[in-house]
Amino acid sequence: MSRSRLPGLVALMALAGVLALPLLALLSRALGHLAEAGEAWDVALNSLALSTLGTLLTLGLGLALGWAALLGGVGRSLEGLLLLGYFIPPFVTGMGVLFSMELLGLRLPGALAILLAWTLHYTPLAYVLLKPALGNLLPSLRVARVHGVLGGKRVRVLFPPLLPALLAVGGALYLALLGNFGVPAVLGLPDRVYVLPTLAYARLTSPVSPDPLGEASALGLLLGLLALPALLLHRPPQVEALGEGFTIPYPVSRLLFGAYALLALLLAGMGLLKEALFNPYTGSLQPAFSEALAMPLVRQGLLHSFLLAMAASLATLLLALLLRPFPGAFRALRGLFDLYYLLPGTLLGLGLILLLAPTPLYATVWILLLAYLLNFASLAFRALEAGARVEAQVAAARVHGLSPFRAWLRVGFPLLRPQALGGFLVIFPLALSEITLSALLYAPGAETIGVAVLGALNGGLYREAAAIGLLLALVGTLPLLARRGPW
Amino acid sequence: MVSLLGLEKSFAPGQGVFGVDLEVAEGEVLALLGPSGSGKSTLLNLVAGLLFPDRGRILLGGREVTRWPPERRGVAYVFQDLGLWPHLTALEHLLLVMPRPDPKEALGLLERVGLGGLEGRRPQELSGGQRQRVALARALARRPQVILMDEPYSALDPVLRERLRLEVRALLKETGVTAIHVTHDPEEAMLLGDRVGVMSKGRLLEVDTPRRLYREPRTLAAFLAFGRANLLPEDGHLLAFRYEEVHLGGPLEALVLERREVRGEVLCRVRLPQGEAWVRLEGSPGERVRLGLAQIRRFPMEELS
Repeated sequence: MSRSRLPGLVALMALAGVLALPLLALLSRALGHLAEAGEAWDVALNSLALSTLGTLLTLGLGLALGWAALLGGVGRSLEGLLLLGYFIPPFVTGMGVLFSMELLGLRLPGALAILLAWTLHYTPLAYVLLKPALGNLLPSLRVARVHGVLGGKRVRVLFPPLLPALLAVGGALYLALLGNFGVPAVLGLPDRVYVLPTLAYARLTSPVSPDPLGEASALGLLLGLLALPALLLHRPPQVEALGEGFTIPYPVSRLLFGAYALLALLLAGMGLLKEALFNPYTGSLQPAFSEALAMPLVRQGLLHSFLLAMAASLATLLLALLLRPFPGAFRALRGLFDLYYLLPGTLLGLGLILLLAPTPLYATVWILLLAYLLNFASLAFRALEAGARVEAQVAAARVHGLSPFRAWLRVGFPLLRPQALGGFLVIFPLALSEITLSALLYAPGAETIGVAVLGALNGGLYREAAAIGLLLALVGTLPLLARRGPW
Repeated sequence: MVSLLGLEKSFAPGQGVFGVDLEVAEGEVLALLGPSGSGKSTLLNLVAGLLFPDRGRILLGGREVTRWPPERRGVAYVFQDLGLWPHLTALEHLLLVMPRPDPKEALGLLERVGLGGLEGRRPQELSGGQRQRVALARALARRPQVILMDEPYSALDPVLRERLRLEVRALLKETGVTAIHVTHDPEEAMLLGDRVGVMSKGRLLEVDTPRRLYREPRTLAAFLAFGRANLLPEDGHLLAFRYEEVHLGGPLEALVLERREVRGEVLCRVRLPQGEAWVRLEGSPGERVRLGLAQIRRFPMEELS
């Protein structure tokens, strides 16, 4: 190793150590309490079963939709319709399922309702992540058709190349479901169906627990252990397909794709719209937005969430942008931040409480900001990593006489503008409707909108909760704008 | 102008460039010819400063620049994918790299490469040939000591490719700038280069005028690099001759197997005592003729590996 690289490496390792502190704090506290976890083992099993089932459901549906899209040649608008489901925050989807079932006169048990909401929310993600791998199968599929390899025989041609993508996407979905707090909080808690993130939250806020933080930490550790296998298998999903589309699309596939997208959107949105827009007694149009916005907790929550989301998205993107000219440091930090994005947010939240409880940061909005920064930095780094050709363009500028600084300023950074904008449009809505970290870390006076909606729901203010949920769902569709870059 | 002395850069065993010595005179256009993976682009990247050599020295204009960063070397580069900046107009491309940005001079340069009136367009608003011209104009705007060109015409259609390479050659000669032009197309190498260097497996085998290299190659790789090549085994050696290096009325008995006409030239596949070969002569399938070789070369069998 060259001597000039040594200080950089030392600084990076020190930073990695600091960044890992919340997890280490959680680990040290949890180990002492693991034996007392008691009913937590049942809940862990519940979490494992629900997450695995949910993964299989979303993966299966995502694959079916991907296949339908491959054969049907779905356009951008149909695809956009499907993706809308993912851009609605998960806990809002949970509320949507709750109200839609009520509207249909159905009463789903908590676990089934959770599975339904997860399926509605995460199937579009499975579709998007599987799409490139499916697209790459097109040449093989075309060759198979031309040579008469049809029906079940195609599996032998298509399945082996698809398997790595199925495993990777399955792992990512499992991690997302395992760590999801919003849906089980909305649909599971009223039915006393617990998963590890909601049990950790319940223990932390329990007035009867002798050591709430210790018990919650033990649950966090269990959650981490359940996440570990998927984390070890994790590899970044492929983002671009190489194959070309079929020239003759199958209209039936397109129809099926569209029917699912519409049904999913209706199931998630119908009840929400009815609850938010119509008077439950008279049935007349009477939107609840003004009542919701008149609530001080909602107004305060909106302001805090807006500022936090803005600060988190801008700061993480700025950091990623500044580090972009240094590929080694960029990759290393991305790897660290990936860990916090992939691990259930409950672990980060609990770790930060343990680490910062003795400091003045605790129970302020700043601990929330720190949590948001650690959680969303990975997305900022991923967004800016996407412009891989920028290096070549900067090299071209340097060959033509521009200094490294000027080459990045005039060529590199301007070329990354679409990626930065795309990153902002993804991070901002996610941070705005964040609920896992907020529920654990908020303090009186530092509530976020997610916490306010959850509070309204628990207090029986369904119409107000639905109205805010609807607004968050609208903001959530911002990333759809990022799907088309200026060049 | 350009001196490469014992240049080496290794990526993996057998991959890279090895022991390259080369002199390119001021105003000279040197074409580097070789198959994919022969090290041509690596050599250009070493001269540009995008890679640093493991061993050896690079001198530009008499100054050693071996470890200099690319921006200090005073070179310009027309990349294979052109490396244009999608957010800049044609004019902005030139202004950004000019030592003293002068819009009037930049517009004049664009006019000179046939882009008059298109200065406000971005790369995606230009055709393939026009993008090529922007890349060339950008390279010239830098007023470089040497222009490096890495297969810049490979993505163009044959008609445009032929027209552009002649225009570029004329422009390079008119401006008097030194250029190293990498290609795997022998016709392009002979058309563009004052001299041609043949590369194979990371080594620069021979450098000479196109005419001499085509007619009197010292190595089998250089002989094969230009195409139109026949190789026949004879007495433990390889008998090598080009399609046109035969004449009627010699000592070799041949049977014409096939007749093809390419670009107004008649080529026949014939069976000789040593094997089959393509030759340039008039004949009909089934006809027996006697042939002589105008040029006889023999290469050791081992060179084939």
